[in-house]
Amino acid sequence: MKKSMVALALVALMVLTILLAGCGSEAVGTLQFKANGEDFVRQGFVSKDGWSINFDHIYVNLADVTAYQTDPPYDPHDAGEIEADVEVELDGSYTVDLAEGGEDAEPILVGQVVDAEVGHYNAISWEMVRATSGPAAGYSLVIMGAAVKGNQTIDFTINIEEEYGYACGEYVGDERKGIVEEGETADVEMTFHFDHVFGDVEAPMDDHINVGAIGFDPFAATAENGRVDIDLAGLQAEIAANDYQTLVETLPTLGHVGEGHCHCY
Amino acid sequence: MSGNWKLLFGLAFVLVMIGWPLVVHAHGVSIEYTSNVEVEVVARYDTGGPMAGAQVVVYAPDDPGTPWLTGTCDDDGRFIFTPDSSKPGTWDVQVRLAGHGGMIHIPVGEGMVGTGGTGGYSVTQIVLMAVCVIWGIAGTALYFMRKRA
Repeated sequence: MKKSMVALALVALMVLTILLAGCGSEAVGTLQFKANGEDFVRQGFVSKDGWSINFDHIYVNLADVTAYQTDPPYDPHDAGEIEADVEVELDGSYTVDLAEGGEDAEPILVGQVVDAEVGHYNAISWEMVRATSGPAAGYSLVIMGAAVKGNQTIDFTINIEEEYGYACGEYVGDERKGIVEEGETADVEMTFHFDHVFGDVEAPMDDHINVGAIGFDPFAATAENGRVDIDLAGLQAEIAANDYQTLVETLPTLGHVGEGHCHCY
Repeated sequence: MSGNWKLLFGLAFVLVMIGWPLVVHAHGVSIEYTSNVEVEVVARYDTGGPMAGAQVVVYAPDDPGTPWLTGTCDDDGRFIFTPDSSKPGTWDVQVRLAGHGGMIHIPVGEGMVGTGGTGGYSVTQIVLMAVCVIWGIAGTALYFMRKRA
């Protein structure tokens, strides 16, 4: 009798402990995912070949957007997979307009996870996939705007049907991002560098940014009645082979984390 | 903003001595010294040119959100600092100049334990620990309650 009472008490203690442990929640905060085309997109810029470019819309279709706590920190130059202790992901895909808002607009909020485990999210990955609906339907990236050079104005829509995946380390910039504290909000950023495609007249012409960029002249050469509306397949057919090769080698370098580089897969 | 430049960070750990302050007693005198590990970071563009004058921000592992030290690289792209040996873990060093930038992670101290932080034990770990403790208590109780032959 005495023995069964003790056993019963032990079982009750075990159940109570498990219940208490289950009730104890981990510390969480909110992690926001943002997309940023930087000032080049919001304010326009002059390409390496002298075209003054302003953007009306830049639609990117994002999927599998995931942030990670990695230790040791993920290094994209290793070109490996991200191995994480903790990860949080946005469900679904999102078409965002990087040109949305005025010249001083904030980066675009893509989504957020309100129960992100606290800690430092020092790596992020995402994919640019073809949208199934919306303004970018059929494409992973749609660049719309106007380019002016001298007395020539070209309205353009450049459609990219290729898909890309980016694995990145920590954001590099003015502030440190991704540090989630209990009950607080932090953010991580997907940054897109469009000067890699068009070049930048303000950078030296022998700078890698201009050497590796296609500029706007090849796009302008495909214009009909002052308008360019073309996709990668069309570009492959219409522009010089070396220009097309430059473009396909440049597009994978669009994705960054601030000034930090990513591995494109 | 940034170019497609890959930054190369050369690292040299100039090891003066590893360890915490040591005291040697020798016939009526006490000689003390404090040891430190000096870290030298060299930042270059992938063209090989030094990132002269680049901004450097150092983050200690116990407070990743607050710069522990800021400074600039010298003409050779070199920056030297001495981490606080009482803060073992991964020290992060960010180097930026005119739109080009990168970050390097330096393990310092015993264990080389990073401090990205995952917020303590998970629920699963807590439950497992609780079960183990209870199992130990139950086993002990049953041992003393056993019928002696």
